[in-house]
Amino acid sequence: MTKPTDLVQGTLDLLILKTIALEAMHGWAIAQRIRQVSKEVLQVNQGALYPALHRLEQQGWITAEWGESENNRRAKYYSLTKSGKRYLQSEQANWERLSAAIGLVLKTA
Amino acid sequence: MRWLRRIANRLRGVFHRKAAELELDQELTFHLERQIAENIAAGMPAEAARRAALLDFGGVEQCKEECREARGIERFGSLLADLRYALRTLRKSPGFTAASVLTLALGIGANTAIFSMVNALLLHPYNFRSLDTLVRVWEDRGIDEGYDARYIAPGDAEDLRSANGIFESMTTYGFQSFGMGAEKDVQPVLGCKVSANFFDVLGVVPAAGRLFTAAEEQPGSDQVAIISHGLWQRRFGGDPQLLGKNLLLNGRSYTVVGIMPKDFDYPVPVELWIPLALTPSEKADRSQLSLSALARLKTGVSASQAVAALVNFSARLQREYPNTNTGRKTTLLQLRKELYMFTLPLFSLLQIAAGFVLLLACANLANLVFARMIGRQREIAVRTTLGAGIGRLAQLFLCETMLFSLVAGVVAIAISFGSVRALRTSIPVGWTKWVPGWDGIRVDGNVLVFTILVAAAVGISLGWATMLHASRVEPNKTLKETGMGSLTPARRRLRSALVVAQVIFALVLMVCAGLTIQGFVRLASVYQGFEPASVLREEISLPEKAYGEKVKVQNFYQQLLRGAAAMPGVESASLVSNSPASNVDNETTYFTIEGKTALKASEVPSADLQIASPGFFDTLKISLVSGRTFSEADGPEAPRVALISDGMATRFWPKGDALGHRIKLGTRDSPEVWLTIVGVVGDVRQNWWNPLTRPVIYQPFGQSPQRSMTMLVRTTTLPASYVAGLRQISRQLDAGAVLQEINTLEQEIADSIAIVRIMGILMGVFGMVALTLSSIGVYGVLSESVAQRTHEIGIRLALGANPRDLMKLILWQALKLTGIGLAIALPISAAVARGMAGLVFGVVSVDFAVLGAFTLLLLVVALLAGYLPARRAVRVDPMISLRYE
Repeated sequence: MTKPTDLVQGTLDLLILKTIALEAMHGWAIAQRIRQVSKEVLQVNQGALYPALHRLEQQGWITAEWGESENNRRAKYYSLTKSGKRYLQSEQANWERLSAAIGLVLKTA
Repeated sequence: MRWLRRIANRLRGVFHRKAAELELDQELTFHLERQIAENIAAGMPAEAARRAALLDFGGVEQCKEECREARGIERFGSLLADLRYALRTLRKSPGFTAASVLTLALGIGANTAIFSMVNALLLHPYNFRSLDTLVRVWEDRGIDEGYDARYIAPGDAEDLRSANGIFESMTTYGFQSFGMGAEKDVQPVLGCKVSANFFDVLGVVPAAGRLFTAAEEQPGSDQVAIISHGLWQRRFGGDPQLLGKNLLLNGRSYTVVGIMPKDFDYPVPVELWIPLALTPSEKADRSQLSLSALARLKTGVSASQAVAALVNFSARLQREYPNTNTGRKTTLLQLRKELYMFTLPLFSLLQIAAGFVLLLACANLANLVFARMIGRQREIAVRTTLGAGIGRLAQLFLCETMLFSLVAGVVAIAISFGSVRALRTSIPVGWTKWVPGWDGIRVDGNVLVFTILVAAAVGISLGWATMLHASRVEPNKTLKETGMGSLTPARRRLRSALVVAQVIFALVLMVCAGLTIQGFVRLASVYQGFEPASVLREEISLPEKAYGEKVKVQNFYQQLLRGAAAMPGVESASLVSNSPASNVDNETTYFTIEGKTALKASEVPSADLQIASPGFFDTLKISLVSGRTFSEADGPEAPRVALISDGMATRFWPKGDALGHRIKLGTRDSPEVWLTIVGVVGDVRQNWWNPLTRPVIYQPFGQSPQRSMTMLVRTTTLPASYVAGLRQISRQLDAGAVLQEINTLEQEIADSIAIVRIMGILMGVFGMVALTLSSIGVYGVLSESVAQRTHEIGIRLALGANPRDLMKLILWQALKLTGIGLAIALPISAAVARGMAGLVFGVVSVDFAVLGAFTLLLLVVALLAGYLPARRAVRVDPMISLRYE
């Protein structure tokens, strides 16, 4: 089994924000969703996921609430705040511009 | 709104620590459980599912720590925890704590004490308007005229004031001592005669009353006085009605017109100012350099530009007045430089020495801390494994080192209150009154802030060093090792470097101390040519009004001498105008040698002038080189005579034929009478800063009586028991005579070099501390390295090694470390010594005896420090040392 691709520094935040943009999710589900959507390419390390969640919460992009999980357990659900949504939009735009630029360079050079 | 939530979060972390912890725990547990459920669903057995989930997750504690850090809530909480932990560890090892706190308190305390002096003396505020543009101006005759002969002729000063384009304003002044008070209670006060614009030039205003007016510079209308705050408080009890009242100065009445503010003390130690009222002829005089001058540079004119302009000015005066001004150069120095000329080098040196002591203390402490670190390697390894990052470890160590350095700072401050007072009062007032700001030496806000800053700097650098040391711990290796930790080569090198540094600091400090003490000893024996033991001295000054006629002065002193000589146990009593070791320079005078009058006025030689009664040379046991001394026959009617010093005789009559020649005071045109040289007496050093062979002319008291004289009394028994009797005799003769304190000449000599003695003592203490600390350092490192090698030594001994060879091996290590330190320290010490020679009186440049002695001493100490652990190791039974782990 090859080692999953390491996430580029700072992209984890973007992935988390995008993942919970539609609905509130708990940590485990976020990790699962990222893995599924990326077709198993992106493996989110739990050791990095939770500190990132706490940091994003501390920065005010996301907010957390305790709720009932799918298996009837108490779980901490994270959702985007208003400023978090704006932040996601600008970060996503940045990312798209950046990756497009890199793609251009790789194709032509 | 984001910031609001952020703050709420943080506060929650601090105040609801438990709830936050619980939530974090629940969140991570939920994740694990969910993963386990997932694994089971995927078909794993329960136990394997759990293991896989945990493995997948990685370190739970580490993750928690990172989450806490991400929220930033831990900073404060962990700081408290670390502080608590640091307190506990320090309490658990009281020996280490006491040793380190004491070492540091010593180092910091030395700096606090010296800084309190620097604070008062070097940072002494002169509340003059822009101090930097004030300069002292004087004329240089190109002859060594003593230590601080910076005078100007009144006529030249007048020209300078009116002609130049460099000074905004200029003022002149001169010292004068007064007997102040009523008929029956006259006390000495040092005053200053100043031009009316004196205070304006300095830019100061009186606290009460007014300054002098230009009209008061005229002789006859000059009977007004301004007094210092100190004098006002001391003599007049701060009388608010004093302005307008009259003072009696030397029997003349003066009206008090002003009181200066508390912080005004220029020139020290003057307490009284009166107008300088010169007659037109006095004002025009160019023959005598009799005044001091102070000027303010015009804006935009630098001191060096002014010096250049003064060259032209002197050249012009030389052309216009070749008789008096040839060879005379007007020059200037920034007042700031003159004010700090004495204190700056002395106290900078002390502060640097104190800094060295602190560095030594820190090096020692670093050694202690590092030694302790070896025992704590396991703790650090465990902490690192549990997720403590480098920042977290740094915080822990900083807490520890800051804690004891701040405690040391507090101890240092507590001690310094006493030690600073002791320092201030250890030097007699007779000397310190000349040092502006001396009374202000105390532990004030500046000193407290300084001490805390020093303590904090020490704590931070020690904590930082500890952290660097700890960051090399490899948790894997350390945790696998059993028994006590060991020194890696890198760390052994670090500690050896510390020992080398200590040796360097110690040698430099000890050489400084040695040179200062040597300088002091040299100064103490500098008063040559007379025997000060069993001699009392009493300064007397008679009021001008009652003693206008010379006969009256003669009579008073004759009766005084007779009365003193009649006291049982008095061997001889005599008078001199300025006794040796008085801390006051002799009056200087030009003189003309008969037959050599072809000399130009500018080349007229100068000499110190002393007036002495016949018994003076006997009382002080000054040798007679040739001819005779004075006798009672040398009275007003007899031919005028003089004695000269040996140094003067050999300089001006190298063939040894001075006797019988005639000299005259002043230049060749002076109206003074010719004096026949009737004897040559031995050289006497006047003050420790004066050259020994400075020419001195003695005139007999009988032929030129003076109202202010010093009586010297040689006694056969304890001199101090005569003080009351002597005082009574003069009081009975005239209660109006001004008497200074009666003291023994030996005491006076000790007082006059007190400042150097204190420096010697301080440097001596620093040197001792340096020696002690560095030997402890060498001993500590060696004994530990021997302890590390106990096992190895045991094996060697068991295999038949010669104990002597082993001993040599260990001693060689001690010598190597010390040797490296000494090799680096020797050139530094030599350079420092050379620098000190220019800064401190009495210190002569590189003294190889001192350098050699201390080098040897350090080597011996190092050998001893190596010998003790070496002997212990060699004596141990190989069986025991082999089991030693």
